[in-house]
Amino acid sequence: MNPKIERSVYIGIIVVLSVILFGLGKKELELKKQIPVTAEELYKKLSNPKIKVQIIDVRELTSSDEVGGYEDSRIPGALPFPNCDETNMNTENLKDALKRINPYMYTVIVSTDGNPDIFKKCTTKFNNAQNLTGGMKAWQEAGLPDESGEYTPPKAGGGGGCL
Amino acid sequence: MSMTERLLFWIAIVVLVVATFGVKGKVDNLEKQVSQVNQAFGGE
Repeated sequence: MNPKIERSVYIGIIVVLSVILFGLGKKELELKKQIPVTAEELYKKLSNPKIKVQIIDVRELTSSDEVGGYEDSRIPGALPFPNCDETNMNTENLKDALKRINPYMYTVIVSTDGNPDIFKKCTTKFNNAQNLTGGMKAWQEAGLPDESGEYTPPKAGGGGGCL
Repeated sequence: MSMTERLLFWIAIVVLVVATFGVKGKVDNLEKQVSQVNQAFGGE
């Protein structure tokens, strides 16, 4: 066979396979978004240093309801992002948190009760996101560890896990 | 076209085929999970 034609055939096969793989990868991310993660599963993921998880807490900073706001009780290491709205990020600490949010990282969205509407709003901002079933309420009911207080950016060289 | 070039093309094709089947398996599994979740939440 003519080397030029042979090369073109190989390149064609590689391009077709790459397109199929890319399409399947996209479909996988879309399907993942539809499957919520339970509090126990999230805890297991956080306990595994091999899995990198970004936790985004979309609740208000303070709240008078039984679950409370971000500053009352949150999953350790969670970043505040009230209502998934950048315009709410107006203090120095929140601006720092906004800078740390990585839209391409595997993300779990935490709301008060796992509201699918707020999760839908957030999925436009995160490529690979899952909703926490039952939200912070489920996390608290499962008796899993939490932390409270104002968000403070991690110190340089601090290191260590969050759980 | 040299044998080395041909071999490299074949390696790339095999890697892509294996990766495609791997991701396809994951997608099938996720589709099953999504349908189970939808059933559990009453076809939402």
